[in-house]
Amino acid sequence: MNTYQILTDYFNHSPTIIQGAWIIIGLFSILIIGLVFYLKYLRGHLRKKERISAAYEQEYESALITYLYAGNEEEKISSEQQAIIDLLKNDAKEPFKRKILIAVLVKLKNEISGEVADSIQNLYYQTELVDYALSRLSHKKWFVIAKGIRELKQFQIKEAYDQVIIHLNHPRPEVRKEMQLYMVNLFDFEGLTFLDLLETPLSEWDQIQLLEIVQKLENQNISNITSWLHSSNDSVIIFALKLAKIYNQLEAKNEIIQLLHHRNKKVRLDAIDVLSYLNVLEAKEILKTDLEKRSQEEQIAVFKMMENLYESDDESFIMKYINHDLFEIKIMALKILKEINREKFCALKIESVNDPYLRIVNFIENN
Amino acid sequence: MNGAKKIVLAEDNSMLSMLLKFKLEKEGYTLFIAENGKKTIELIEEHNPELILTDIMMPFVSGLEVISHVRNTLNLLTPIVVFSAAGQEQIVLKAFDLGATDFMSKPLSPNELVLRVKRLLS
Amino acid sequence: MGDHVLQNIIELFHYLFFVFSAAAIASYLVLAFISAIETIEYKRKNSYVNYKEIMSSNSAPSISIIAPAYNESLNIVENVRSLLSNHYVNYDVIIINDGSKDDSLEKLIEVYNLIQVDYLINEQIPTQPLRNGIYKSTNPAFEKLIVVDKENGGKADALNMGLNISNSEYVACIDVDCLLLEDSLQKMIKPFLETTDRKVIAAGGVIRIANSCVVKGGKLQDVNFPKKLIEQGQILEYIRAFLLGRMAWSRLNGLLVISGAFGLFDKKIAIKVGGYDRNTVGEDMELVVRMRGYMEEQNKIYKVAYIPDPLCWTEAPDNYKIFISQRNRWTRGTIETLRKHRKIGFNPKYKVLGLISYPYWFFFERMAPVIEFVGILYFGILIVFDKIRWDYAFALIILAYLFTVFFSLIALITEELTYHQYKKKGTGIRLLQIAFLEPFVNHPFILYAAIRGNFDYYFNKKKKWGEMTRKGMTKA
Repeated sequence: MNTYQILTDYFNHSPTIIQGAWIIIGLFSILIIGLVFYLKYLRGHLRKKERISAAYEQEYESALITYLYAGNEEEKISSEQQAIIDLLKNDAKEPFKRKILIAVLVKLKNEISGEVADSIQNLYYQTELVDYALSRLSHKKWFVIAKGIRELKQFQIKEAYDQVIIHLNHPRPEVRKEMQLYMVNLFDFEGLTFLDLLETPLSEWDQIQLLEIVQKLENQNISNITSWLHSSNDSVIIFALKLAKIYNQLEAKNEIIQLLHHRNKKVRLDAIDVLSYLNVLEAKEILKTDLEKRSQEEQIAVFKMMENLYESDDESFIMKYINHDLFEIKIMALKILKEINREKFCALKIESVNDPYLRIVNFIENN
Repeated sequence: MNGAKKIVLAEDNSMLSMLLKFKLEKEGYTLFIAENGKKTIELIEEHNPELILTDIMMPFVSGLEVISHVRNTLNLLTPIVVFSAAGQEQIVLKAFDLGATDFMSKPLSPNELVLRVKRLLS
Repeated sequence: MGDHVLQNIIELFHYLFFVFSAAAIASYLVLAFISAIETIEYKRKNSYVNYKEIMSSNSAPSISIIAPAYNESLNIVENVRSLLSNHYVNYDVIIINDGSKDDSLEKLIEVYNLIQVDYLINEQIPTQPLRNGIYKSTNPAFEKLIVVDKENGGKADALNMGLNISNSEYVACIDVDCLLLEDSLQKMIKPFLETTDRKVIAAGGVIRIANSCVVKGGKLQDVNFPKKLIEQGQILEYIRAFLLGRMAWSRLNGLLVISGAFGLFDKKIAIKVGGYDRNTVGEDMELVVRMRGYMEEQNKIYKVAYIPDPLCWTEAPDNYKIFISQRNRWTRGTIETLRKHRKIGFNPKYKVLGLISYPYWFFFERMAPVIEFVGILYFGILIVFDKIRWDYAFALIILAYLFTVFFSLIALITEELTYHQYKKKGTGIRLLQIAFLEPFVNHPFILYAAIRGNFDYYFNKKKKWGEMTRKGMTKA
């Protein structure tokens, strides 16, 4: 009691700033004690959760394997399968278990095709997991929608088309990305028609993902890409150029040549690259006339094209660049010269006075 | 059949390997399962299987190194089938360079796999 | 009269000291708050990304991993193997043997079947010349590997050689001994590819401490919490800095540092600004500041991204001697960088960079130890002259201590809620223990090292040149 008295006296007679300090110290102490207990609880909780989910995961994995092998020829769904369905359907009511169950199904579904994949999809319907995913599509939060679309894509639920396509120009790129992947995964090239209406940028990451899927499709008859080459959305043009390259769209040659004068540099660069790949000689002639006016990157791209499409009458043009300031251009010009006029190239060795240049010439001669 | 033919299966997805194990054991083969490249090599050296099925993307020692080890270090002609995700054409080409016998792209169809295994081991 | 002036000066001194402390505390709280928002957002955005699709794509842009090595013979073979096992497809690994005096090169040649190749280098950044030349493997399984043997020139010089040699769009500059997880490259490249409204010039990742962790065959097999307090203290410090600090800076787009242990750069811009500076011990920070300055001067909209996932694990110093020399070097690196770019500081032309990042680094990273040191000196003087107000001192010291502990606890909870790397039972109590002990076990050494760093910077220039030619023995 006495100590207490001393302390309160001390406190009451201290200047305000010290009083304030002690009050904050008190607050911090309480906070810290709280945090310590919370941290203890949190770690225990997480550990327990991990243990439980591992157990469920194992249970569902073996249930799934049993389900897949319990089918027989006579019935569509055997009684053993029905029992598993009932069990999983019941578990799916709990979000925690549902999440694990879906993860287990996806883990196998992703790696497998044919009958087994079909029966997994069937199980997805039977356990009514599909309804939970569909209900997510109209949720307020963007990440709920995105996850819903993703899941429907993984289980190839085509019926959700109308509810998914409305997110075409969703403000969150993550939702748009899932929407795009859904379309292309489930509807092949047909699914790409969303590009007609896309107003938002298609990031490089999105494009790569879409290309990956498109290239895996069994049906490789691509639809007409020319309308996308005219798109007002530059990222759609860039994507269409990638498609043109992969699918050798020589029919779109004229449209792509027009893009050499597009206002966006990236479009121009990609157009040069595609035309080079498609061996369009007339593009080279166009580019030769206005090369000086183009940016450095474009000039380099043009020389890459020349490396691929050189003809003997390019010699005088090439000669102008063998001493170019840009290392890449100089190298490429020399390489082309070596191919079209070996004698002239070899003469350079004798003429060249400075060492680094000679080294370059020698390197090109040997490689 | 005199003595079940042995197959080493290297695959890091436990469910897929379980599924394939069931499927192939039903056909009368003996399966050894590895979930990484290192274990695969150990199993191959221990059991000298008639066939090797390996995923190309595996933790640490990749499928490519497994092939290289079998062909160049162990000097074995055991047929090797590689699994690859689509879009890994370059790696598949490299796998063939190193001596892979066949490849199947993922997602893979278990029935087709059984057919190929039968053909290779007949 | 004189007394009166002195009195006023002391008053002013107290006042400034108080303002500084309050500002430091406030800035920590604000940063922690922003970090929390950004972390939640990041988790939501990336919880269901399929990295598998991007990694296997041939359309994904090319990346070169550049790893300088100096006398790393002991582990070089294993380290290279780990770098080669990344799951990204379109990448190569450029090992720069920076004039090692050991048998690193011979070992690499033997294990990876290397042969010397003819290679034309576009020397856009001047470097020390090649020594034995450039090597590639004859075994197609190692075709991603390029080994460059050059004359010694220090870490920055070696990295510059890598920039010259790389044919890729992006370069990942790393310490050769750090362990990259297999999906690290696709996670790091993601911001470059998905950002459409601005140019991403660089991305930095979290560095985690690998001491006591089980690494087998170039892979992290098991995460353990080390036994020594010095190591534990650093783990806590890293968690605090990366989860509560850098995350917020990336949100504000004001990140100044990408750890030299693992960073991904747009090669074109890195070369355009002249590559790494060979005249500083803080080349990693300096490059980022210079690239940012350049983008601001060009009036381009840009960003430096930050990936909070634990992708890179590295060995931290486990004794005080190395620890102090590491921190000493960091201090000098910071001072050098800030001095070199002082025109950026407090300059509205550089927006966030000039008005927030630079001042923050100047006051709370560069000056904090100096101010703390002066404070302690002052405290000592007051004790000597028996002028101390013990009630003030006592309350303020406790307050500062509790705040530090509080902040560490917040960091630990964030770690549990996000990455939860230290899962094992019993580690929790040790994490708590270090949160309470760290101000005593690590902080005094950090302060000492920082003061030494300041001293060496101003009065011991020779030290720097000794270090520049050989890569320091300390890492991270």
